[in-house]
Amino acid sequence: MIRKKIPKAELWFILLSLGLGLACLTFYIWYQTELIRLGIEIRQAEERINRLEEEIKSLEAIRSSLLALDRVDKIAREKLNLKEPDQDQLVYEEMLQEVKK
Amino acid sequence: MTNSPERVEKRAIITACGVALWFVLVAARLVQLQVFKHRELKSEAIEQNRYIRDVWPTRGTITDRHGKLLARSLPFPSLFLAPEANESRESLSRKIKQVQQIIPLSAKEIQRVKNRVENGDRFIWIKRKIPWEYLEKLKQAEIPGVFLQTETKRFYPYGSYLAHVLGAVDIDDQGLGGIEYKYNQLLQGKKGRVLVRRDALRRKYDLEVLEPAIPGNDLVLTIDSTIQYIAERELERAVDENQASWGTVIVSHPPTGEILAMASYPDYDPNYYPPADPSAQINRAIQENFEPGSAFKIITAAAALESGKVNLRRIYDCSAGYVSIGGLAIRDHKRFNLLTFPEVFIHSSNVGTIQVAMELGEYYFFEMIRKFRFGEKTGIDLPGEEAGILRPPSSWTVHTLPHISVGYEISVTAVQLLQALNVLANRGDLVPPRVVRAINGPDGNKPASTPPSCRVLAAETAAYMIDAIFSKVVEEGTGTAARVLGFPAAGKTGTAQKFDPVTKSYSSSRHRAVFLGFIPVDNPRISIIVVIDEPKAGKYYGGDVAAPVFREIASRVLLYLRELPRVRAGKWVVASHQAQITREDNR
Repeated sequence: MIRKKIPKAELWFILLSLGLGLACLTFYIWYQTELIRLGIEIRQAEERINRLEEEIKSLEAIRSSLLALDRVDKIAREKLNLKEPDQDQLVYEEMLQEVKK
Repeated sequence: MTNSPERVEKRAIITACGVALWFVLVAARLVQLQVFKHRELKSEAIEQNRYIRDVWPTRGTITDRHGKLLARSLPFPSLFLAPEANESRESLSRKIKQVQQIIPLSAKEIQRVKNRVENGDRFIWIKRKIPWEYLEKLKQAEIPGVFLQTETKRFYPYGSYLAHVLGAVDIDDQGLGGIEYKYNQLLQGKKGRVLVRRDALRRKYDLEVLEPAIPGNDLVLTIDSTIQYIAERELERAVDENQASWGTVIVSHPPTGEILAMASYPDYDPNYYPPADPSAQINRAIQENFEPGSAFKIITAAAALESGKVNLRRIYDCSAGYVSIGGLAIRDHKRFNLLTFPEVFIHSSNVGTIQVAMELGEYYFFEMIRKFRFGEKTGIDLPGEEAGILRPPSSWTVHTLPHISVGYEISVTAVQLLQALNVLANRGDLVPPRVVRAINGPDGNKPASTPPSCRVLAAETAAYMIDAIFSKVVEEGTGTAARVLGFPAAGKTGTAQKFDPVTKSYSSSRHRAVFLGFIPVDNPRISIIVVIDEPKAGKYYGGDVAAPVFREIASRVLLYLRELPRVRAGKWVVASHQAQITREDNR
């Protein structure tokens, strides 16, 4: 059996085509993988943002409960020994300024 | 051994046949997978790589008029069991026991889970909205078939504060009372759907919105949380001191009808709904019908003045101390002599008031009561409002007109009485009450609809009633305990005997004390109604029990609103210029 010798130019063409095909395939796979990887990263970042937003909301709610007026009132009276002035002890800054004028 | 051409050809044919057979086999397998098993495998592939998930919008927040947070939904973990097909009961019991070692489960909860397992359910809640401290332990335990899902739970940072207005929600975040129920549709938003795509490791890498979730609207109430706190504190104190059954206070801004505070006591904490005592859920301000007693004389006086039938110079003889109507005697709370028209109301004489009412006639008086919108709901944006009871004149007896003129044989709610009082404060205009100020949604912020106001009294009539009668009630009449130093007020006391259904007569030992008024008289910033039911500590008159509550609330609220006294009084102490005191202000 006599083997046919492939011309050099044709061989180069085949090799180049194969290389190009392989490169395209590699790029496509890389592109798809990268797309998924970025998608995963974006999802994780979004979930983190959501978690942090929820945490901010929780902290705001806790702050509100800590600043509840009955709690503040209790601390003012019991810990700081403050008390409300009687009606006849009150004078208003605006009225004082009027008198000064 | 030589490779003859025949031998080579034979080998080539065998190899070609082998390769062809291999191709045929591969092709057959492909046909089998892609044609005959196409539907089944496609759905499996889709199931593996993507799924559709419901997206539940977060329930809207509720804030007071200054943006202070009153209710918010926060994420909480929920625990569920997903039994495998044909999983044994022993295995499931073991899993539940493992969970029980981490998080306490009641016998009722365990029984519920067991019942669901018996039914063959594939998704069973074990415990919903559990405290966060259990989360780590549950994650570490890694119990197969037991999973965590994040849900939201309603949180009321101020606890029992404003409970009756806010209401509460059930385990599925559906409103059950108050604003939460009334505005449930707006608050809960609309569920959406997303398509989640996953990679081979089941990591989510893409979300495609199929149906966008519409977040719930945020509500801004007319309530001022500081005024609400003052009202609740003073109400609680009054109910406890007077050993009363219950009490209610409403504070409103007369020109707009905005409710600044609405408190009922006893109360409950909506974070732990439902309360142990179901009666604590009743919003007494709008859901309690009662006979107003002398507080209703405001309407009698208005009707008399508006009718023009009453001679203001007439002197009413109240010296008998009682008046007999159809055999029934109605008495005064103390002996009077001769009283002028304003004095009849300033001193709250029943005898004088009945004489005034008898001049009006049934139909005119009834029409006037209707003009003040008694016997119908005020339309306040809260659920479960009572309309009160006002019978038509066709069913009135000979006692009805005199009885109604002094606040009996008619039932009203506290909010109806306050609405009527605000007619005076607004110089004749009736402005319906409301508790929602604005609705903030995805489409932007819009003010809540305001109910239309209407004229009920002539401005002159209202002005006369304020100046000649109801400001004098506070200055020198039955309501002197409501006086606030430096601020002229107008108001009316009311003390009603309660009807005893057992004896079918009015009890001489059970009363209801009422005071309603507005302050300052010249430019009313606030109007307040105080109702204290069945005080048992000795005092029971509206002027003794309810009027001091008005004074305490009004004095503190006016200070908070930085309202300057009309009359200079007392010593001089500098109060802060700023509504919110800062460190610099305190120097």
